[in-house]
Amino acid sequence: MLLEPAQTTNYMILGLSVIVGSMLLFVGSLAVRFRNLRQDLQVLEEVEQNDSQG
Amino acid sequence: MEGTPRALKWLSAVTGVLFLIALGMVLFYAPEEAVMGNVQRVFYFHVAAGWVGGLAFLVTALAGIAFLARRDPKWDRVAQASVEVGIVFTFINIVSGSIWARPIWNTWWTWDPRLVTATVMELIYLAYVMLRQGIEDPERRARFGSVYGIVGFISVPITFLSIRLLRTIHPVVIGSNDPSAQGAFDMTPAMLQTFMFSLLTFTFVYATLLWHRLRLQNLMERVEQMKMKVFAS
Repeated sequence: MLLEPAQTTNYMILGLSVIVGSMLLFVGSLAVRFRNLRQDLQVLEEVEQNDSQG
Repeated sequence: MEGTPRALKWLSAVTGVLFLIALGMVLFYAPEEAVMGNVQRVFYFHVAAGWVGGLAFLVTALAGIAFLARRDPKWDRVAQASVEVGIVFTFINIVSGSIWARPIWNTWWTWDPRLVTATVMELIYLAYVMLRQGIEDPERRARFGSVYGIVGFISVPITFLSIRLLRTIHPVVIGSNDPSAQGAFDMTPAMLQTFMFSLLTFTFVYATLLWHRLRLQNLMERVEQMKMKVFAS
């Protein structure tokens, strides 16, 4: 008699979701940090420009 | 800050396509494993994530050696960027393994040599990040980080060999299983192809993320230098 495979589809969905979700979170964190740093750099460049003019 | 290099844009696009193909192969090409059922499909990305973790920590160690030899800060930036990618993928490896283990071992966690060594490896590199944050002087920080990255790499072969040298219930993909291994299986050609393609894809994912993270590191240092310049004036 052939046995059916175990019903583990829910665990597969959970596992793949965690893997893809973690990778997307990391990519998102890179994007947010890039944006924040670019804003910081812009502000600092403006301050430096104002200092050199004043 | 200049825009994203054309080569990085291409690499990101190719990596994205490869990842979608790999996901398609995992879900639709590889057959359902006869005993474990669909949860076995997690294995392809679980192992690939572990591979990326080990590769990232190897690059950290090599970059540490390069920094100590040449004192060029760019190697320290590579090491730092690679550690972060390695930590993320080792986390993915551990958590996805735990999810696989729940229906196969009937537990989320057990004090098996592989699980313990992988978790210790993750903690070693989390400590690397904390160590760096605790050192003010950039030169000293880079030197300590390099030495730590080289010494910490010992945890990678220990993790890899733990299931080959110690008594374990963790299955072995390459090599022979311990008789007490639970959840071991023989790969069909389609499974092997999916596995190899997943390894290739995750290697591309690593290269892409490392490059992006390295650019972020360069930008962080530029902002820090700018801050010092503005506050000094």
